[in-house]
Amino acid sequence: MNTLIILSALGVITLFAEIFRFRKALFPIILIGLAGAFAATAFEYCDNPQPIFNMMIFDKYGVAFSCSLIIICFLWFMMARNYFLQETSVTDHFALILFALVGAVVMVSYSNLVMLFLGIEILSISVYVLAASDKASILSNEAGFKYFLMGSFASGFLLFGITLIYGATGSFDLMAIQHYAAASNSSTGILTIGVLLMLTGLAFKCSLAPFHFWAPDVYDGAPTTVTAFMASLVKTAAFGALFRLFYTCFAGISGQWTSVLWWFATLTLFIGNVSALRQFSVKRMLAYSSIAHAGYIAIAIVSMSVTSAQAILYYTLSYSIATITAFTVLYIVERNTGRNDFGAFEGMAKNNPFLALVTTIAMLSLAGIPPTAGFFGKYYIFMTALNSHNTQLVIIAVIAALIGVYYYFRVIISMYFKPEKSDIPASIGSLHQIVLFITTLLTILLGVFPDWVLRWI
Amino acid sequence: MMQKYLFIILGLFAVLSALMVVFEKNPVHSVLYLVLTFFAIAGEFVLLNAQFIAIVNVIVYAGAIMVLFLFVIMLLNLNKETEPHKALWMKFGAVVTGGLLLLVLVSTLKVADNAEVNPMNTNIGAIRQLGTVLFGQFLLPFEVSAVLFLAAMVGTVMLSKKDIK
Repeated sequence: MNTLIILSALGVITLFAEIFRFRKALFPIILIGLAGAFAATAFEYCDNPQPIFNMMIFDKYGVAFSCSLIIICFLWFMMARNYFLQETSVTDHFALILFALVGAVVMVSYSNLVMLFLGIEILSISVYVLAASDKASILSNEAGFKYFLMGSFASGFLLFGITLIYGATGSFDLMAIQHYAAASNSSTGILTIGVLLMLTGLAFKCSLAPFHFWAPDVYDGAPTTVTAFMASLVKTAAFGALFRLFYTCFAGISGQWTSVLWWFATLTLFIGNVSALRQFSVKRMLAYSSIAHAGYIAIAIVSMSVTSAQAILYYTLSYSIATITAFTVLYIVERNTGRNDFGAFEGMAKNNPFLALVTTIAMLSLAGIPPTAGFFGKYYIFMTALNSHNTQLVIIAVIAALIGVYYYFRVIISMYFKPEKSDIPASIGSLHQIVLFITTLLTILLGVFPDWVLRWI
Repeated sequence: MMQKYLFIILGLFAVLSALMVVFEKNPVHSVLYLVLTFFAIAGEFVLLNAQFIAIVNVIVYAGAIMVLFLFVIMLLNLNKETEPHKALWMKFGAVVTGGLLLLVLVSTLKVADNAEVNPMNTNIGAIRQLGTVLFGQFLLPFEVSAVLFLAAMVGTVMLSKKDIK
């Protein structure tokens, strides 16, 4: 609860920065506030969490995911500061990001469907606006509008699902729904259709195929920093919400929806990875790779075992950290060369070996090569799936991961083996250097000590 | 009995005018049919003893949002039949997928056990009851929705204001 209050207050303080002219001091204030929110969340970690108004509960799952989200947001702020220094409207961008974080925290720690819906809407509306925030660019406008239309459509499905579940169970409370679903062994039609509609709505938000069509255009059109936010924090929150709902409520009737999610996961893995092969722009490639990663996480949800939560937490955190590294580098490349295709990365190893090294580690992590965190993320997902006898799905995912290695290595090859002259500067801003250093260090440390994350749930 | 027939007639009316919203070529006519749909649904709410929701439905949707729609149509000068025509296969695909969704929904609702709700239970939709629930059981969502509206307002201002150099 303190987390929500601190984050909302931080958002409101940010809005005041323009009036009271402390825009210069805003950035440190936000970082300190996020650190405070992190401490407040970690402080709530205990064995017997108390529900708040029967609406939210900061149990181990909620605390671990909230902490993970705040870390991602902290890294994002360090990455995005330079972008927003060039813009005139710093305060409202930062405020929207903080409100989106409030929504994300609600999404991973709700215990009532009303809170789930509110969390999703707070997050979505902030991100719709941020996607369209580069007003001069027609692509950014298109991205915002497309995201808004598709997202509202998905919210409609979600809401209809919630309505039908309420109609069947008579309650919005997760525990009451769980009791109902566990008690009624014979499938009641309304509940099933409600579950499937909710799955559809959430799959939209997680960009699972066949509901992924918005993702490439939106990720490509939005400003690069906002794309980094969508690919890391929004995805983590969406999967946190999806797993919490289905694990708490519908694990008892898993027979009615796992086959649907099985197909979603398979389709996502193939569409994401195969489409990423054919891209010329690194930004679009990362968008498709983000779709593909959603497929891996969906495997853990299909498996529905006790280790699924750990696997999802670890995977989303390691994926988000590597994504932030990749997008920071992409942002630096875009700003200096004005391009975002594979060619723009050529000659980076010669001009700036540090940048090339961190990109390589991020790409290795995304591709799932040991000893990076990405490898262990995939390892835990596959182990979870094997423990619940989803061997077919693991085989499909391994094939998809092998396809994925190709396009991640294309970036590495461009940087190291194509020694052309390039506009990439030898030195980058100190803040970017710090972010890249931290994320790369985390990628390796989490790979070596996965227990740091896993033991929290 | 009378109520039941009225409910069905209003429901049919709502579905028909909703269909007309889609089929009508002129956007202004579409919006006017949408107003009819909202009024029909408001009537359903009254029959279900949810007066507050009925009034809100009329004021917010049929009132404010419809006026907004009409303004946008007039300002963008859309009141001609300028809608681009979609390809035939696209229409066909849309009909098939929409029909499948309808089929699934109808078939599940048919087998569902429909418990009888007493529409005469005067406690359900009354404003007093709604207020008690909203400020008691649902206090936290009520407060959290403030963040939602603040985010929406900040977003609107951000998108519509001019950049100051």
